[in-house]
Amino acid sequence: MVFRSTHTARTVRSRSTLIALAAAAVSLTLLVAGCSSGRTDTADGGTKTLTIDKAFDLKTADPGRMYEPTGQLVDKALYETLLTFEGGDVSKVVDGLASLEQSADAKTFTLTLKGDHTFSDGTPMTADDVVFSLQRVIGLKGNPSFLLDGVTVTKKDDKTVVLTTATPTPALPAILANPALGILNSTVVKENGGTTDETDTAEKFLNTTSAGSGPYVLDTLDLASQVVLKANENYDGDAPGYGRVVIQNVEGATQKINVEGGSADLALDLSGTQASALGDSVAVTSDPSANVIFLLLNQNPSVSAVTSNPDFVKAVKEAIDYDDLVSIAGTGTAQAAGVVPSMLLGALPESAKLTQDLDAAKADLAKSGYAGESVTLNFPSDISLNGIDFPTIAQRIQSQLKEVGITVELAPAPVATELDAYRNGTETMGLWYWGPDYPDPSDYLVFTPGNVVGLRSGWAEGANPAISSLADAAAAGGSDEERQSRFEDLQKALNTDGPFIPLLQPGNNIAAAKSVTGVVYNAVWTIDIAALSAK
Amino acid sequence: MTRTTAVRPPRSRGGRTAHPFLRYALRRVLTSLLLVVGVTLVTFVLTNLVPGDPVAAALGQRAAEDPAIVAQFRATYGLDQPLVVQYFTYLGNLLHGDLGVSTTTHNPVVDDLAKALPATLEIALGAIVLSVIIGVVLGTIAAYRRGKASDHVLRVVSLAGLSVPTFWLALVLYYVFYFQLHIAPGSGRLSSDFSTPPHVTGLYTVDALLAGQLDTFLDAASHLFLPVLVLTLYTVGLLTRFVRTAVLEILDQDYVRAARAKGLPTRTVIWSYVLRGASIPILTVVGLAFGSLLSGTVLVEAIFAWPGIGSYAYQAASHLDLPGIMGVGLLIGVMYLLVNLIVDLLYGVLDPRVRLAS
Repeated sequence: MVFRSTHTARTVRSRSTLIALAAAAVSLTLLVAGCSSGRTDTADGGTKTLTIDKAFDLKTADPGRMYEPTGQLVDKALYETLLTFEGGDVSKVVDGLASLEQSADAKTFTLTLKGDHTFSDGTPMTADDVVFSLQRVIGLKGNPSFLLDGVTVTKKDDKTVVLTTATPTPALPAILANPALGILNSTVVKENGGTTDETDTAEKFLNTTSAGSGPYVLDTLDLASQVVLKANENYDGDAPGYGRVVIQNVEGATQKINVEGGSADLALDLSGTQASALGDSVAVTSDPSANVIFLLLNQNPSVSAVTSNPDFVKAVKEAIDYDDLVSIAGTGTAQAAGVVPSMLLGALPESAKLTQDLDAAKADLAKSGYAGESVTLNFPSDISLNGIDFPTIAQRIQSQLKEVGITVELAPAPVATELDAYRNGTETMGLWYWGPDYPDPSDYLVFTPGNVVGLRSGWAEGANPAISSLADAAAAGGSDEERQSRFEDLQKALNTDGPFIPLLQPGNNIAAAKSVTGVVYNAVWTIDIAALSAK
Repeated sequence: MTRTTAVRPPRSRGGRTAHPFLRYALRRVLTSLLLVVGVTLVTFVLTNLVPGDPVAAALGQRAAEDPAIVAQFRATYGLDQPLVVQYFTYLGNLLHGDLGVSTTTHNPVVDDLAKALPATLEIALGAIVLSVIIGVVLGTIAAYRRGKASDHVLRVVSLAGLSVPTFWLALVLYYVFYFQLHIAPGSGRLSSDFSTPPHVTGLYTVDALLAGQLDTFLDAASHLFLPVLVLTLYTVGLLTRFVRTAVLEILDQDYVRAARAKGLPTRTVIWSYVLRGASIPILTVVGLAFGSLLSGTVLVEAIFAWPGIGSYAYQAASHLDLPGIMGVGLLIGVMYLLVNLIVDLLYGVLDPRVRLAS
């Protein structure tokens, strides 16, 4: 009896196991058979996906509110601008959606839409869309609103829009090429809460659906992880090379491994060291970026009696070993000859850059009466610009200045907390950078007395009348040749008598799989995704 | 029998006997709720003590120079109100589940956290399950073979797991498994040729299965491999050392000696006597380890491009996004409290003395 019951139990148990296994196998088979696919390749008709690794600083895809490098990259693909740049040349503005007629005094800009353009939903573009888009940027009071400060936008006819300013604004054509001024489908945006003032609520919509005429449309956007773009079927230009683009948020160290391993086609944030360590499987494009790292010495005697001494400033300029800084910064980096970066109109030629002269530095230091006081150097400790860490540069400057007898005390702080002191002009010495708000030299007039960065270094209005008059001349506009010459004069004077020391233009290194063609660095939008194609 | 009559359960005022476990659980829940309020206050004070102006950090430098834009920003985020008013407004909103709007993403913080939390949960759950299994086995073996070679090896290995920086370990493992051996996928939660499965839980593996997308499930599961491995290696080190100590203490107890003297099989002694006796201290450290996994994955998330709570916290901190920082602080605080609450309740389940004494 006992034997029988045990035997029966065993039999039942093994039978149950068999049944369970069979059920599991059938379920799995049914599951596999009934499964849909999460892959996207087939949905695009076999078009390839381009994967771009980028360290995100993305806050929004709404052009009226966007003003970060990742946003520029994305919106350049989604929206078209009235004017634009060709390839990587940001010194010359060319026609975009419109052609430009500019008055001699640089106060009136007439823009006429060229040909017929359509938005991604098939709606034709008119001057009303242009007026709405530009007025929206002004009215939202968002990050890019300053681009159109003092600009009045009026419609002349269905194809023509006139922009007027009270003062000469020679930079306006270059400003109009910024993706933040991309043209929106006004009807769609208005239907989704769009207005031309602060009551606008269209951002949420524009973060899910693009309303532009660019080569791509927005598929999905996750500010933390990735942005997915699809080719715009109604785009009236040449079809982009990739049907689907995934821009994913990845840090530099991982980007290098991804692009070498093949899970990314492009890596946009590699440091010089990482770029030079890449294998043959990828192609690297290295250019000096448009960012300029500079040192400021406060000219306000109440902040520092030491750094406000002109001879001390001269001594610091002569004591720095610029070549050494360039070498530690790595591939692609160049010394900044002036505050205007090398690719912009008005940049100083290389021959005008500052050079090290230790004997002169010691002589000027002695003349300044410097008695070995410790000078504080403030800098953001958590910024890595094109792969260059600010603490590394600060430490090197500290040791270089020590060679001539200047004692520097390093004062690192997170950028979020240090920004206040920098913007309030209370730093004795500061190590910062300036990225162009728009690629025109007039953006660099802020480095003059009484202007934004001038004030940050305690350089009040009237502190140097000679430099101020050079700045006024440069601001007045004129032909490209005239402007080039005036900005060169201004920067030469700044290098001699200003409180700023231009140090580096960090290298911008783009690594691309060898199958990708058309990679060109642009100082405004990094790369034009639509210009990329597969071999 | 003697024990239950010795400790008589307390009676409620109405004369009805309250279940001891329910009373115990209720007391723990109420304590946790009070602590949540404390957490909001501490988070708020600490966040506002940080030097620096959120306006300067959030707005571009040109926008920050325009007084109208700055005023609008302050008004939008309530920064123009006194701190006390800000705090009570925050508490009031919190009661409605509103954690404010992020100054970085412009999204409600609740939505941002709801998106980030499943990403972290997916790797933290995987890591804690593996860590508990491996850590308990290795810790028990080490204790049983105290002083022998295997004990020394396991102690060194667990110490190494604890000492190696997770950032470095993540980078090395990623390089080896993805780039050199090609047995792990690239970074992120899914390969770029997959689309995100329809959102149900936010856990991609689960959502893919629910959507019947087996290939997406397999891809999502393969992306879990390395982050989970890195987190497991660290947590296993911690658990192994702790389990070893706890088991060693129990092995010296009379009831374990008695069980061995009776000739019970080793497996029975371990399962029914040793591990049961050591379960409370082990549970404590598992709870702490899980809390730490949920809140301390910033570097691992950075290497594997994992958009979880750690990444969100870093982004919020670097932009002085006060609502974001407060939201993350509160979430982590609540998660710790929740884990502790669960552990406390499990104490009551595992050890009747705990609930009766309370």
